[in-house]
Amino acid sequence: MAEIYPSLVQCAIVATAFKVLLFPAYKSTDFEVHRNWLAITHSLPLWEWYYEKTSEWTLDYPPFFAYFEWIMSQVARLADPAMIWVHNLEYDSWQTVYFQRWTVIVTELVLLYALQMFVDSTPGVSKRAAHAAAVSILLSPGLLIIDHIHFQYNGVMYGILIASLVLAKKKSSLLASGLVFAALLCMKHIYLYLAPAYFVYLLRVYCLPPKLSPRSIFRIQFFNCVKLGGGIAAIFAAAFGPFALKNQIPQIFSRLFPFSRGLCHAYWAPNVWALYSFMDRLLISLAPRIGLPIKADALNSVTRGLVGDTSFAVLPDITPRMCFVLTLLFQAIPLIKLFMRPTWEGFIGGVTLCGYASFLFGWHVHEKAILLVIIPFSLIALKDRRYLGAFRPLAVAGHVSLFPLIFTPAEFPIKTVYTIFWLVLFLMAFDRLAPAPTRQRLFLFDRFSTAYITVSIPLIFYCSLMHGIIFGKSYEFLPLMFTSSYSAIGVVGSWLGFMVVYFTE
Amino acid sequence: MPGPSPHKPRRKAKRAGGNGPSNLPVIMEREALVRIPSFPLAAFLWPARSSVSQWELLPLILMAVGLFRWAAGLWGYSGFEKPPLFGDYEAQRHWMEVTTHLPISQWYFHDLEWWGLDYPPLTAYHSWICGKIGSLIDPAWFALYDSRGSHDPTLKIFMRATVLVSEYLIYIPAAVIFVRRFSRLSGVPAWTSSVALVAILMQPATILIDHVHFQYNTVMLGFVLASMSSMLAGRNFWACFFFVMALGFKQMALYYAFSVFAYLLGVCVFDHTNIPRFNIPKFIGIALATVVSFAILLLPIVAGTLSEASRGITAHPGGAHPPLPLFADLAKHLNTEAFYYPVIEQLVQMIHRVFPFARGLFEDKVANFWCAMNVVIKLKQYPAELLQKGALVATLAAIVPPNLILFLRPNKHPGLLPLAFATTAWGFFLFSYQVHEKSVLLPLMPMTLLLAGRQGLGKDTRAWVGFANILGCWTMYPLLQRVDLRVPYTVLTLLWAYLLGLPPTSLNAYFQDGSSIWSQWATAFIHGFFYLTMAFWHVLDMFVVAPKDKPDLWVVANVGVGAAGFSLCYLWCLGSLVIESEILPPSWTGKEAKTKSE
Repeated sequence: MAEIYPSLVQCAIVATAFKVLLFPAYKSTDFEVHRNWLAITHSLPLWEWYYEKTSEWTLDYPPFFAYFEWIMSQVARLADPAMIWVHNLEYDSWQTVYFQRWTVIVTELVLLYALQMFVDSTPGVSKRAAHAAAVSILLSPGLLIIDHIHFQYNGVMYGILIASLVLAKKKSSLLASGLVFAALLCMKHIYLYLAPAYFVYLLRVYCLPPKLSPRSIFRIQFFNCVKLGGGIAAIFAAAFGPFALKNQIPQIFSRLFPFSRGLCHAYWAPNVWALYSFMDRLLISLAPRIGLPIKADALNSVTRGLVGDTSFAVLPDITPRMCFVLTLLFQAIPLIKLFMRPTWEGFIGGVTLCGYASFLFGWHVHEKAILLVIIPFSLIALKDRRYLGAFRPLAVAGHVSLFPLIFTPAEFPIKTVYTIFWLVLFLMAFDRLAPAPTRQRLFLFDRFSTAYITVSIPLIFYCSLMHGIIFGKSYEFLPLMFTSSYSAIGVVGSWLGFMVVYFTE
Repeated sequence: MPGPSPHKPRRKAKRAGGNGPSNLPVIMEREALVRIPSFPLAAFLWPARSSVSQWELLPLILMAVGLFRWAAGLWGYSGFEKPPLFGDYEAQRHWMEVTTHLPISQWYFHDLEWWGLDYPPLTAYHSWICGKIGSLIDPAWFALYDSRGSHDPTLKIFMRATVLVSEYLIYIPAAVIFVRRFSRLSGVPAWTSSVALVAILMQPATILIDHVHFQYNTVMLGFVLASMSSMLAGRNFWACFFFVMALGFKQMALYYAFSVFAYLLGVCVFDHTNIPRFNIPKFIGIALATVVSFAILLLPIVAGTLSEASRGITAHPGGAHPPLPLFADLAKHLNTEAFYYPVIEQLVQMIHRVFPFARGLFEDKVANFWCAMNVVIKLKQYPAELLQKGALVATLAAIVPPNLILFLRPNKHPGLLPLAFATTAWGFFLFSYQVHEKSVLLPLMPMTLLLAGRQGLGKDTRAWVGFANILGCWTMYPLLQRVDLRVPYTVLTLLWAYLLGLPPTSLNAYFQDGSSIWSQWATAFIHGFFYLTMAFWHVLDMFVVAPKDKPDLWVVANVGVGAAGFSLCYLWCLGSLVIESEILPPSWTGKEAKTKSE
């Protein structure tokens, strides 16, 4: 089989050139967060990592990520020793910027490797499509905006996730897949959202007997269970063990799961609650006419929906428990199907739907979490045109919803032009590569998707340009609300579409 | 995996018409047989080989090259936080300030000590438009006197945007149209010409100077491209108009003036079959078009001066009438109170500002012949007049041969046009008076266009065009490092070298099948020597401090190597021009010509 061009490595080289040019670009507080973690892990003993609070950006990722920071800090010391002083808050010498930006680029090699694994694992006819999907992930505007401008290390972690997903393809590497995922969980706990799909899939194909019948259900593959359970336990012990010795687990958990935060993040992630908030806002003006009561205290709250607690003026308030139940419910529905028919593609679909459910119904969801949906979905988006139909609005909505992360004028052309470039290139390429489906397509859904994508153009135009000209600095929440409601419609629409595709498969 | 249907060579070959070379279909079939991209840029456009329409590909290309331009612009610019005078950025900003706030008759006279306007009028009009738009956003950016040396970060974004928008309005459309027409006339398939287009638009020197260091060279280069494109299309009046606009934007376009003249004269004298038949109406038409274009160019400033003079606004707010800066004798024959006197004064002042006759042979360290010579013989000891004459003679000697060929063979084949332009510009760059290191953009532009021509992406042309570009960037390194632009320099230069499969990333542009082994080794050896020297120079510059008594040693070394390399580029362009034009008897060049066509 001849090589497919451009190869992943070629794309990575050109993308790296672009990312290096972005070094002086805007960086969010996450840059300082990670600098602070370098400092904490380098200059304090292990036992103080989760207690240190000189900076407000305390360590709130699981221990493997802290170890990862510790390794990087060994090199950071050579780049600029001042970077790793705990008290050197807001420090950003050019060495620090170069060093930290480089670590993001270098650690992203994990993603490159995982994507190459994915392409290599795909057989003959669909290799071309897999290659296109891999390139689309490598060049994802989501990763560019979040990692290389805003500043985070998603590239390496999604690389590990993809490696784990690809390992699940072959029976011989199922165990490795589970263990890699466990290690990922110890790096960033947001991946817990995807854990139910892993649990169901590994349970079904690795632990339970291959042919499921009422008689054989108790004939479990005992040795496999031991290997998987033992392996996962060992990984968690390696991560949390040292802290457990000193009884620090409660402290770590209070850092990892801060329940005091509000329903919606500072800016509304495009999920069901964004639509709910939007409805509430509409109802405030409608309520007097249809005779609904308005809660006065919620109305007066200036920060409504923007920072901290969200309280609703007309609609009932949402509790964390409700979010939790809804999330689990909508995760469980596709997982039943996965349990019944455990194929690899079904597993990826299940992971994607778990991502969807937690993104759409979760408590305090961050808009960056949309990558939890987009990236696994990309791996199967080219299965056929029905999948692609569901993927398309997600690709638009998910990336447009990231725009408010970068609000400085210098980076505006980069985020918009890059995203449009990516959407035009890959939606065009995907259209050519996705095979015709074996089943009837959802006629109306395709129309929805086209109409939806069209609306994005005036929306971006209004939010980024017209609003400023018409209203100046007032009503700043308006473009944010439009963006997030628009994106929410896209994400919800694509979720419903994919659910239908998943269940009719 | 080979594409389902590679391009169809037959169709294009037919369109190339009767005057295409007879070996054309053979070349095309050879190209079509190639199943793997020979360098990374071709790999990137590989999926677009079949069935993707140019109208789908072009927006993607324009977005991608735009992204690199804007991202490069995030870095610093010339003169950033470098008082007292700052740099080119401040000059351009200051002209926006001057043109938007002062009456048109004072533009060329206002406070000449602080970046007085010294570009032709089209630059002034362009500054006026940009300044007006910018003042709508924030009037403080261009407040008279108060805004000097402003480093407002939002202003920087605005200024970067003006460069980008000007480029996308002028240079990029001109480049797209030129490349399409040039490729079609040279019998190059559409896909290959798209590859060449990306290579031309990603040219690192242009991005570094315009979008990073800060200037508007692409506007002038774009007008020149438009002029060349009009020449290929046979629209000679438009060619005149665009070239006058190029001159009117930046006097540097004079580097090309001889070639424009030689070509247009050649078109008047020779018909399509190269038989001398002087076409007088055509000649008069072209002359008239030139005059009219100059009139259009000067109209705003002349009309503005007259109308302001009638309202009592003069070029000198103080009231005195200083003597004319040039042609002092002229003033004796003129009535300084006549209605036309302000116009004369205006135009003389403009010429005086635009052409600084009073400056030395060279100012800074430039990789041209004189500066390199200066290392051996201290040229400053000779009288300035002698040096000026020497420069004139040397320049003429360098530019006459290519322009003579272009004059004699204007319609021979489209590849001669960029070759002659490049050779002439190299001649000017190497031997003329008052050269700036940024002027290397002028020979590089037409030379890089060769990529879109016949066999342009073949190894020989690619190796030489790549060599010239990388050497060009390298000679600008001292300029760029002064304002801490090492990173964009490294990234953009290496990226371009990588995309085109050139050293230091790859040796794939050397050693091809078919051509003579001797010339291959010669090219590889010469280029290898220069690339190694450049690399070694970078190591020296980075780790070794120059000796105390010769603090400029590294820069001087850079200049010497650059001048030697550029001379080779000049010779290569001239040699290719001679061979391609088939102006010499075939027995003289027969062997080489055969080598080239393979």
